[in-house]
Amino acid sequence: MTDLIPLDPASAAAGLREAGEGARGFLGVDPVTENDALLTRRLAALDAQVFRAGDTLVGAAPNPHQPRQAYVASTSADEAALRALLGFLVTYRRATSYVALVERGAAATEALRRCGFAERGALRDHRHRSGAPVDVLVWFGKAAETCPS
Amino acid sequence: MPFVTVRHFADEDIPLRLQLLREARFQANLSDFAVAASDDDLVADVRRTIAERQDERRIFTLCGPKGEVMGFAWITSIDWRNQTCELSFGVLPRHRGGPGALGVQAAHDYVRAELNMRVIVNQVLEHNTMLQSARTMAESRQVRCDYDSYTVGEWRSACYWSLTDEDMREQRAQKLARRRVLADRIRARTGELP
Repeated sequence: MTDLIPLDPASAAAGLREAGEGARGFLGVDPVTENDALLTRRLAALDAQVFRAGDTLVGAAPNPHQPRQAYVASTSADEAALRALLGFLVTYRRATSYVALVERGAAATEALRRCGFAERGALRDHRHRSGAPVDVLVWFGKAAETCPS
Repeated sequence: MPFVTVRHFADEDIPLRLQLLREARFQANLSDFAVAASDDDLVADVRRTIAERQDERRIFTLCGPKGEVMGFAWITSIDWRNQTCELSFGVLPRHRGGPGALGVQAAHDYVRAELNMRVIVNQVLEHNTMLQSARTMAESRQVRCDYDSYTVGEWRSACYWSLTDEDMREQRAQKLARRRVLADRIRARTGELP
């Protein structure tokens, strides 16, 4: 089981900046267009939690309209890191389902697939990066062991 | 690896930024407000820009191939919805000239490609020929504004011009065409077939 190390907001921002390409669009933030102070503020506004799992950063933010559902993000294709996050969300946040919004071709897609997520749709030209609009794909996952109530 | 990289202005860049604000040519060419401000006030102001004012103004650090700071670019008058902003530059004295011009290009590219700005407004005080000659400025300016700024004891006229996506495409095409002509000429001289 991969250990999750919770990051304080400043370390989360610094970590995302270091993560480079994989951190673009992480829970909707982007270290290329936002400085550390702004990243910190945006993550706080989402009520997001960011963890380090090995070389990967994973994060989650509650869906305010459905508190048992969490938005999740990862900076890499590392399946174990994402699994550790999902386990944390089930155990400590009573999450029953997850949504991930990832750019087409993002590294995290592979981890989502391996963790049983399914692609549910595409938001066309939803984000702008490197001079062009890109599609954002909506991936949905259901917690394996949902809590009884 | 590009020659110049653009990154967010951070706390560690503040001393260099202050040096630039206190430099004679910067004051004549851009603004001399720093003359009457204490170091503490300038530091506090720039910290506010980093921490709180990202929606209104942003500063970027232009770095050379080894990560050394070459200067700064900053955007103001940002209109996110209409995708326009004004872009300004301050290059540190030792990097002025050729490398500075590459920095200018890198900042233009960043603002367009990543911040999705469509129209960039340039303002240069007319006497300032640090990044472009008086001739190029006369060609590119769309508006000439007398008594635009008062810096270091003199009224300065300013030239303004905007750069749209179309202008950028045209500039790029012209640059490629010039390069092609040069390449053909070199080939002709070395006796190579085109």
